[in-house]
Amino acid sequence: MTDPLEDAGEPATTERRRFILDDTGFDEVPPRYRKFYRKWRGPGDRLGPNEAICPVCKVVIRSSRELRPGDRLYCMPCMSRLVVVQTADGTLEAQVSY
Amino acid sequence: MGPTAAPREVHDLEHERFLEEVHSFEFWFHSVEGYLSGTTFGHNPAVVDDTPGAEADRQRLITVLSNYCLGEMAALEGASGLIAIAPNQLTKIFLSTQVADEGRHLEVLLHRMRELGVAAPAAEAERRASRGLKQFRTELLKLVQGRDWEAAIFAQNVILESLEFAVFKAHAEVADPVTKQVLEGVIKDERRHIGFGENELGRRLRGAPHIRTRLARVREELDHLVIGMLEDTSREIGVEPARQTELARSYRQCVERLGFA
Repeated sequence: MTDPLEDAGEPATTERRRFILDDTGFDEVPPRYRKFYRKWRGPGDRLGPNEAICPVCKVVIRSSRELRPGDRLYCMPCMSRLVVVQTADGTLEAQVSY
Repeated sequence: MGPTAAPREVHDLEHERFLEEVHSFEFWFHSVEGYLSGTTFGHNPAVVDDTPGAEADRQRLITVLSNYCLGEMAALEGASGLIAIAPNQLTKIFLSTQVADEGRHLEVLLHRMRELGVAAPAAEAERRASRGLKQFRTELLKLVQGRDWEAAIFAQNVILESLEFAVFKAHAEVADPVTKQVLEGVIKDERRHIGFGENELGRRLRGAPHIRTRLARVREELDHLVIGMLEDTSREIGVEPARQTELARSYRQCVERLGFA
């Protein structure tokens, strides 16, 4: 799914982890954008620290950076702009920003 | 970065540049190519047609497809009419791609009915489609003819498309292999349509909150028609009551995000 880049020596608390995105076979956007999205595989699926679910179309959006509150994400399959927010239980989720 | 190079981080694009990209015909073309290339009438020709053996099941599927055809016909007529009143070039170009999508949906669904033994699928779809859906089509076209951009987009790309998105996803989970592939292709197109509607209206509501009252009235007039169809179709395709509630919730989430609780 995602492979963390080697970032030995960087303090994890301040520096964001970086990820190399691979093509997971998502075919709903032009080839050059495919690595930024993947299908949600159901109840057993888990989001990585660089991933969020689009609340509009339920596709998994991926970033090459670990996500933080306030980050902007784009869901190309449904043309939405999203912002990452921290929920009451401490988890991150994406909300539509019109 | 060349025109075909992978961007380092797509989320760093300026919003205007993102909107220009995803509304473009170029983006649409290379998107649909990814999942329609090699298909015939929306499915892989090598897939074995394992249609329902029992006559009652076949008839139920034909009735469901008839409703889908009428919904797609309404969206085709609606989207094509909306191009003339679209407020800018980006929305006009996007709607031209939606027209192509809706035309394809209608064609593959009619073809599927023909594969199921219906000799005159267009006439049969018109005959079998629910009264509520026919009324919805009439009301949608009135909004388009009345040149009411926001209300027509709300009816078509939010209410109708959200319903179709939820129903098609549920149906694809239990459908025969050919119908499943046809529906999965349609669902991929629907993602763009629901997203376009929600985001276009979300931006407009932010800039002109007074239109909210008008849209709430449209919802009141049309909502029960699509909810009725959701319940009827769910029953026909054998969706469990609990899943039906989930589908209705999934449909309502979109209108709630726009502030219509």
